[in-house]
Amino acid sequence: MSRHIKEIIIKYIFFLFSLVSIVVLGLIVFSLFREGLPIFGKVSVRDFIFGMEWYPTYDPPSFGIFPLIIGSLIVTFMATIIAVPLGVLAAIYISEIAPASIKEILKSVIELLAGLPSVVLGFFGMVIIAPWLQETFDLPTGLNIINASVILAMMAIPTISSISEDALYSVPREFKEASYALGATKFETIIQVIIPSAMSGISTAVMLGMARVIGETMVVLMVAGGAAAIPESIFDSVRPMPASIAAEMGEAPFRSAHYQSLFAIGIVLFFLTLTFNLIADYVSHKFRQVGSGTL
Amino acid sequence: MDSGIMKLHKVNFYYGQCRALTNISMKFVKNKVTALIGPSGCGKSTLLRLLNRMNDLISGTRVEGEILFEDKNIYAPDIDPVEIRRKIGMVFQKPNPFPKTIYNNISYGPKLTGLGTGNMDALVEQSLKQAVLWDEVKDILNKSAMNLSGGQQQRLCIARALAMKPDILLMDEPTSALDPISTAKIEELIEELKKNYTIIIVTHNMQQAARISDETAFFYIGNLVEYNKTDKIFTNPDIKQTEDYITGRFG
Amino acid sequence: MEDVMKSFKNNSMKWRYLKQALFFGTVRLSALIIVLALGGILFYIIVNGIGAISWDFITKPPTDSMTKGGIMPAILGTIYLTIGAIAVGLPLGIASAIYLTEYAKEGRIIRFIKVGINCLAGVPSVVFGLFGLGFFVIFMKFGSSILSGSLTLGFLILPTIIGASEEALKSVPQTFREASLALGVSKWQTTYRIVLPNAMPGILTGSILGIGRAAGETAPIMFTAAAYFTAKLPGSIFDEVMALPYHIYVLATAGTNIEATRPIQFGTVLVLVAVVLGIDLFAIIIRSYMRRNKRW
Repeated sequence: MSRHIKEIIIKYIFFLFSLVSIVVLGLIVFSLFREGLPIFGKVSVRDFIFGMEWYPTYDPPSFGIFPLIIGSLIVTFMATIIAVPLGVLAAIYISEIAPASIKEILKSVIELLAGLPSVVLGFFGMVIIAPWLQETFDLPTGLNIINASVILAMMAIPTISSISEDALYSVPREFKEASYALGATKFETIIQVIIPSAMSGISTAVMLGMARVIGETMVVLMVAGGAAAIPESIFDSVRPMPASIAAEMGEAPFRSAHYQSLFAIGIVLFFLTLTFNLIADYVSHKFRQVGSGTL
Repeated sequence: MDSGIMKLHKVNFYYGQCRALTNISMKFVKNKVTALIGPSGCGKSTLLRLLNRMNDLISGTRVEGEILFEDKNIYAPDIDPVEIRRKIGMVFQKPNPFPKTIYNNISYGPKLTGLGTGNMDALVEQSLKQAVLWDEVKDILNKSAMNLSGGQQQRLCIARALAMKPDILLMDEPTSALDPISTAKIEELIEELKKNYTIIIVTHNMQQAARISDETAFFYIGNLVEYNKTDKIFTNPDIKQTEDYITGRFG
Repeated sequence: MEDVMKSFKNNSMKWRYLKQALFFGTVRLSALIIVLALGGILFYIIVNGIGAISWDFITKPPTDSMTKGGIMPAILGTIYLTIGAIAVGLPLGIASAIYLTEYAKEGRIIRFIKVGINCLAGVPSVVFGLFGLGFFVIFMKFGSSILSGSLTLGFLILPTIIGASEEALKSVPQTFREASLALGVSKWQTTYRIVLPNAMPGILTGSILGIGRAAGETAPIMFTAAAYFTAKLPGSIFDEVMALPYHIYVLATAGTNIEATRPIQFGTVLVLVAVVLGIDLFAIIIRSYMRRNKRW
């Protein structure tokens, strides 16, 4: 019987380990709130989120992060527009069209692209793309929305492409065969059968790709230009939320209002990405393809 | 006749809401080979896995009734299923050696359960000899078991189960994945083993049941239809359904 | 009448195949763009960076306000932080995955834990940085140190390691578990002796990809471990370190003479890329080799 008890104890030890992720999430919320919430004693939530002016070091300071939110949303939106077609089409190529050898290579390429450190991509955007943009379009600076969006798209492509590919790959063979047996071409089968069947997986992929982009820091810090204002064109500079945190935390005095406001931006960012992730999770479970019998 | 080593009393078994076995009462005789036959999905494999509590591993299953082994209900709350499985060995449909050496496949169970305190080399040799595999593998004991042929792997799995010195050996269609020559070897082996062990075997192969078993139980859709001496079942069954199955009219 | 049908059919088939050809062309182009993007980036970095690489660059510390000399302290710091992250993330991740695949039964608690893991995977790296600052540096009073940075990075890669471990554990055939349990070997012994050894190569290769990420991350270590410049090498886990990714950021944005130190910047980028992609490529090659030689 003692062995039986030992087994039960082991099981519960592993159960505790499995809770670590949840505990860490809890600690993240705890730390952000502990350092960030005091700012709302000085600024109202409304003025913080919808305030148009981010002058944290002025006297008196102004903590409106609306331009930062807009900056985040606009680069996320632009990057998504670039990354979704490329990522999904590449996934279709890998899963449905490419011969086996190219498939392996392409999957490795995408994995390596995912592995490129963000600071390297940021550096690339800063040193190679920015000067080129500046010269070609005769701009005051090449560090702007379009540059950041292109680089961010490169970071989103691996996420979008690999998750979409999983979804396409798991479409049951029977569906495809049924379509071919009716005389459909490969293209028609892909468009009318395979993609609709994989739609929930592709949507999840897009959501997760966007979540990755909205939280990405080094690229927007180095490439987006850093102007805390509402942009008027895609060649304007912006200052997305992660860039503000990373750029200013070093100079903000410990537990000053500025420091607290940066943690508060962290809270906004955390819950924004959490929402994206929960939606992605919901979509992938709600519409999960279970065998070929359902749908 | 009261040499029944294992007795089932009004056993019902459920996968979730679905009843897979209905009101089974029977007993297995010591040092005999009992064959469980019947069409696919009749519950014979389910019954076999009930006898050493392997069905515990499938979530959402439920057992009613009693299964007595050495006069104790193996589903009583104070019984440790691990203990039961040590005394009731099992051989599976497909050979499933561990990706270890031949020697370590055999010594694995005894070592971990504290049985192998004696001479491990001797135990390995004895088990392999019992499974009539020794002569083929004695020079390659430290080679991976994955290199053996299917039939050799299955005999290795039998040897592995025998090394635990079980009272009962459960065999779930042990030859269905094997070629005819390997099958013949395993059948010979079963003949030999019944001197020392009680064997309960599930088989799809009617001739096999007739050849090797002493007792035969015929199952149909979760019910025990007929259970008797093998000779009787195969020559003059009491129930029409049994006859139809044996003569190949259905199943 | 028959002729009409025939021409209609021919036309339609031609049109259908033309559409298909156009589509396939677009799809191939997309794949090509991705390959060229990676190829282009690597090409630029290698061409511009290779000139800066020398034995001294890798083994000597920076000099003259980081405008000359090598990057040895940053390489060393990155190695320390990565090893620290592995020490935190790997055991926790494997243990989590063992519970999820070997012990847990489907249900609400498991669903909850899995959603939690997915959400943790989606937490932005800069928020991890804030967490590390708020919790390890300030609340636990570890200061800006190797310890704080390693813990932050360890939790950052935890979901990757859990995912890789779960996949590897699931790929161990159920028949192995059954065979062991049927011998009367206990659940834990079965897990420890049969399941884990067979899953270990998969766990490690999968985790290496997470480890590559830990080596390349910047935002999580900016406020928790990384120093602009350290005069001497770290003596304990409570010391700050230089790190390759942060060093690149500093040189490229806040250096003493940004334009003049471009070669050093490219060289540092090349070293970081070589380290990270080297780690990843190693894992990818081992994995494809393992898949081809799988015995079950």
